[in-house]
Amino acid sequence: MAVPVEEAIAALSTFSLEDEQAEVQGPGIWVSTDTGATDSPIEYSDVSAYRLSLSEDTKALNQLNALILEGKEMGSVLYTYRSCVKALPQLPDSMKQSQADLYLETYQVLDLEMSRLREIQRWQASAASKLAADMQRFSRPERRINGPTVTHLWSMLKLLDTLVQLDHLKNAKASIPNDFSWYKRTFTQVSVQWHDTDSMREELDDLQIFLSTRWAILLNLHAEMFRVNNVEDILQVLIVFAVESLELDFALLFPERHILLRALPILVVLATSSEKDSESLYKRVKIIRLINIFKNDPVIPAFPDLHLSPAAIMKELSMYFQKFTAQTRLLSLPSPHELPPREALEYPLFRHYLIVNHIGSIRAEHDDFTIRFASSMNQLLLLKSTDNADIEWCKEVKGNVYDMIVEGFQLLSRWTARIWEQCAWKFSRPCKDIVPSESQEASASFSNYEKVVRYNYSAEERKALVELVSYIKSVGSMMQCSDTLVADALWETIHSEVQDFVQNTLATMLRTTFRKKKDLSRILSDMRTLSADWMANTSKSESGPLQHGSEESKGNVFYPRPVAPTAAQVHCLQFLIYEVVSGGNLRKPGGLFGNSGSEIPVNDLKQLETFFYKLSFFLHVLDYSATVATLTDLGFLWFREFYLESSRVIQFPIECSLPWMLVDYVLESQNAGILESVLIPFDIYNDSAQQALVVLKQRFLYDEIEAEVDHCFDIFVSKICDTIFTYYKSWAASKLLDTSFLFALDNGERYSVEPMRFTALLKMTRVKLLGRMIDLRSLIAERMNRVFRDNIEFLYDRFESQDLCAIVELENLLDILKHAHELLSRDLSIDSYSLMLNEMQENISLVSYSSRLASQIWSEMQNDFLPNFILCNTTQRFTRSAKVPLVPVQKPSVPYAKPNFFCGTQDLNSAHQSFARLHSGFFGMPHMFSIVRLLGSRSLPWLIRALLDHISTKTATLEPLITGLQEALPKSIGLLPFDGGVTGCMRLVKEQLTWGTKSELKGEVLRGIKEIGSVLYWLGLLDIVLRETDTTHFMQTAPWLGLLPAADGQILHSQDGGESPIVNLFKSATSAIVSSPGCPNPASFNTLSKQAEAADLLYKANLNTGSVLEYSLAFTSAALDKYCGKWSAVPKTGFIDITTSKDFYRIYSGLQIWYLEESIRVSSNSQEVLGDSVAWGGCTIIYLLGQQLHFELLDFSYQVLNVAEVEVASITQTHKSPHFVQGWDGLLEVMKKARRLNNHVFSMLKARCPLEDKTACAIKQSGAPLHKIKFENTVSAFETLPQKES
Amino acid sequence: MARAGGISNAVNVGIAVQADWENREFISHISLNVRRLFDFLVQFEATTKSKLASLNEKLDTLERKLELIEVQVGTASANPSLFARDV
Repeated sequence: MAVPVEEAIAALSTFSLEDEQAEVQGPGIWVSTDTGATDSPIEYSDVSAYRLSLSEDTKALNQLNALILEGKEMGSVLYTYRSCVKALPQLPDSMKQSQADLYLETYQVLDLEMSRLREIQRWQASAASKLAADMQRFSRPERRINGPTVTHLWSMLKLLDTLVQLDHLKNAKASIPNDFSWYKRTFTQVSVQWHDTDSMREELDDLQIFLSTRWAILLNLHAEMFRVNNVEDILQVLIVFAVESLELDFALLFPERHILLRALPILVVLATSSEKDSESLYKRVKIIRLINIFKNDPVIPAFPDLHLSPAAIMKELSMYFQKFTAQTRLLSLPSPHELPPREALEYPLFRHYLIVNHIGSIRAEHDDFTIRFASSMNQLLLLKSTDNADIEWCKEVKGNVYDMIVEGFQLLSRWTARIWEQCAWKFSRPCKDIVPSESQEASASFSNYEKVVRYNYSAEERKALVELVSYIKSVGSMMQCSDTLVADALWETIHSEVQDFVQNTLATMLRTTFRKKKDLSRILSDMRTLSADWMANTSKSESGPLQHGSEESKGNVFYPRPVAPTAAQVHCLQFLIYEVVSGGNLRKPGGLFGNSGSEIPVNDLKQLETFFYKLSFFLHVLDYSATVATLTDLGFLWFREFYLESSRVIQFPIECSLPWMLVDYVLESQNAGILESVLIPFDIYNDSAQQALVVLKQRFLYDEIEAEVDHCFDIFVSKICDTIFTYYKSWAASKLLDTSFLFALDNGERYSVEPMRFTALLKMTRVKLLGRMIDLRSLIAERMNRVFRDNIEFLYDRFESQDLCAIVELENLLDILKHAHELLSRDLSIDSYSLMLNEMQENISLVSYSSRLASQIWSEMQNDFLPNFILCNTTQRFTRSAKVPLVPVQKPSVPYAKPNFFCGTQDLNSAHQSFARLHSGFFGMPHMFSIVRLLGSRSLPWLIRALLDHISTKTATLEPLITGLQEALPKSIGLLPFDGGVTGCMRLVKEQLTWGTKSELKGEVLRGIKEIGSVLYWLGLLDIVLRETDTTHFMQTAPWLGLLPAADGQILHSQDGGESPIVNLFKSATSAIVSSPGCPNPASFNTLSKQAEAADLLYKANLNTGSVLEYSLAFTSAALDKYCGKWSAVPKTGFIDITTSKDFYRIYSGLQIWYLEESIRVSSNSQEVLGDSVAWGGCTIIYLLGQQLHFELLDFSYQVLNVAEVEVASITQTHKSPHFVQGWDGLLEVMKKARRLNNHVFSMLKARCPLEDKTACAIKQSGAPLHKIKFENTVSAFETLPQKES
Repeated sequence: MARAGGISNAVNVGIAVQADWENREFISHISLNVRRLFDFLVQFEATTKSKLASLNEKLDTLERKLELIEVQVGTASANPSLFARDV
């Protein structure tokens, strides 16, 4: 038992409770012990202990309070009443015989509902009579009992307000009389069989009258009150009280102000409708004061979606209260819905009600307050950690805290009241001219609720509302958090305020002003008796309670005691002050404190007044957490029972729901400033759910809210993920744009991205939602993982629907995605990019080397690229053939996706697309780079292998065709004679190369050769790219591996068999660390050094990679070996056989001259169909078969060129002016081009794939054959020939 | 006219009030500390939840990585011939 509480609690603060989550939600958890300060938790039973003869008053007070509570319950029953008739089933014709059963069932169901209404009817009757009786008792001129106290006055006002609200609700709810008439009908049907139904019928008639009479409750109350004609006094007191309170604006909490505003017009109506002189009221309260109040607040909130208007109520009531009709001045006030729109705009109050017009000053107030509040909290913390703090400083800090709390309450009250009032104003003025956003909605009619909510808030107003709601919630949660911190400081301050007043101020007053007035000084000393705490005043032992009379004028010094006065004490003090001031006479003219005829000096009156108002503040401050809860409760924004009923729908769509409209606005507006408030509107749902359960006590409302919240939150998460993804995507895309390019651009800022801060939201692991905790961060991470995968999938799908040229765009888009991933990974932990990429590439298996991309590239090459693209040797590019593709390509349609699957925003998409478009028309080096980077070392070998296999299968398919062509050639073909000139040669060629029946094979063979050539050229490009990549790689690793450049491009190893620098570095570092005694974990450093060795080994092995091109040439050569026998006949003589037609070069030669001729004959030349890769294919095969020299000697076109050269030479000799052989210029030109191209190919082949020296036969000068001499593959003789000008 | 006030036994009431102040000091003290205890528990729960959430996040990531590795190992062990050492 001896555990010191203080120390134990203090010890808790040693726990580290840090949490990196930002406070972007309102307060959510309420733990409080005393929420009962405002209405005494023990029902003022302690009041009697003070012996103030207040027992009658206390009894009445408690009775009223109980009635108020009951009335609130009745109010929520009425407010949440939903028509049952709408849900009643109808019987089909086939079941008409059971109609009676249905009536009975219906009756039983409705009876339950109607019994509640009956209860309300009964309750209001008793409440009215009790209120009237209470008023009569306490307003008798010859008063024998003490009271009414101020608390009592308040209770009267509250009960009156409850009755008015109930009445208003009953008038507004149309479904109640509806249900009732149905009920009555079923009753007549059902009751036929019953006996003795007269009393029930009577009761029903009664209820019907009650339900169908407007203002029935009020009329009843009026009747009750004026049964004995003496309540005018108390009504006037109440009016004066209400008017003064409103004018001084002293109500700390806005609900109190609203109660006064709602009750006042009713009080005025009641007071002026009495039999007696109705003008006596205006003697106490000038009518202009009333009119001002009604004018300033033309619309008062009553229920969430129901408002009251004093002007309208008074107008309506004037029909029921004949006397009131005389009050023309009050009746001429315009009610808000009567104001025409234009006039309303000019009406100053229109501006007053809208938050937009105040948001600037609210923002300033908020910023200022939060800073000062935080600083005063810090001061308090500092004070608590200081021992033996100076008493004055202590008092100052705590006083400051008290002031801050009161100021906070005032701010919160003002702000929340603004929201209530704006809502009421909006409800009173539905949107008249709706601009439908979508065309299909134009025809639909809008429900009333849409008019007052959905279309009634402009974007600006929504923004202001979000801002204000988040201010309220954040200040609320800030104050809520410091609840237990400030509690004792508040108690202490209040204690010292009270003590200061009763011990010092009152003492002074007793000595001076009230010395002569026995009555008054007795009251004052009673005040001291019932609240003074003399013993806290420990230091001054000599200044006991009895010596106060002889004290000096300077006040006592108090020792603080952190205990607050009880509700009963405050209640009694207020009563006594009121007694002093009013002199116990209710009839006194004038106001409460503005009483000039009083015998009390102004100065003292002022002091009493201040303290009087402070007392009512104290209660709310003591009720700290309950007050914060009331002031930050915004649940009313969701409720729409009244409109639901009038709209005849079950529930409104979420687009009409104000909280969701706010969330949606924040998401859609992309406003970085309010983004972090996006969770705040969900607090409105929390509040409304709380209200539905605790205040309205309706399960079905909670269920509806829950369903809506679930739905909204799902949409919210998906929308916020979309926003986040788009933002990071566009950020990445704009960073990847060329900066110098952007700088030069006029509209470069279009491509920059406004920074947004998602960090706070991404840290939210506990979103409070309807008592649940939701891990938003993990939800977002989950979705991000999915959306990144979807995006990769989409990019691949898109690539698959395009041709191979799109690879550059694909790489660019993947780069953007990767960069976006990198940026997002800083704030959110998501799967690594390579993992996702591998997964989407279907590349996870350790034993599969192909990937989705690689196989796509391969199939694309097979089906589209190789058949339909042609090579241009000069530009090193493949372009799509202009002709209709021979092989039709079937591709999936381009998938559609939102802009954020590309680069984020539309602008960035178009920017990146214009770059991508540059590469979309051809295939060249940039594409090869992209392929190498995208496939990487894992899938590239697979692709190379597939291509090489393609070469060998292509050769295999060519083989029978070539055999066929071989058969079509004449058995022997001689050299072309020079005599006939070019013309003769060509004739001879044509005679020999008729091809006979096989001429249709020509095209096919050429295409085959072209594909082989394309593959080889493609591999050549790949080789160049790989070389470049390898070189870069080498440059990066060389210093670590200790490689030094030496002469002739050789590589020297710096360490001569020792270890490379990287191994050395890690080894020495490891040994140094391990040797030091402080090393905690030497094993891991040893591992590190071992890993360095492994890296060294791996990188060294990678150094001398071979050439892809050389490898593929060797592979092709090996593939051709099979056909060597068929395509190159070894001459039997051992000498070169110049007439043979069996060799491959002959076929190719014939094909070449055919297509050269063809190319100039046909306007759309066949060159375009085949391109330069034919030469690559043909020449490579010729070269690899070892027929290069034969070809160069015996090719038809070469021979023709030789003949032409001779011919030209002879012509130039005879004629002075050189010109070409007539008619053959075109052909000769393309022949020359072909020869140059062939030479290029041969020289490249010789460089990359030198053939071993071949043996051949030669003829000596003497003419004798020389067998098996070795000759080198030399540069073609034709290359050394002098070139004619081309 | 009956004036309000008039505590019939002022001295006794004064003594009782004084005792009441002292008793209530004790009550306030206890209730405040109970509330502080509550506050601590609420905060403790909140931070613990946060910490658990971050732990969960790490475990999730690890789990997915492990799954991937399992699949990879699975593909490898399904084709033992590829990894068999040539004898």
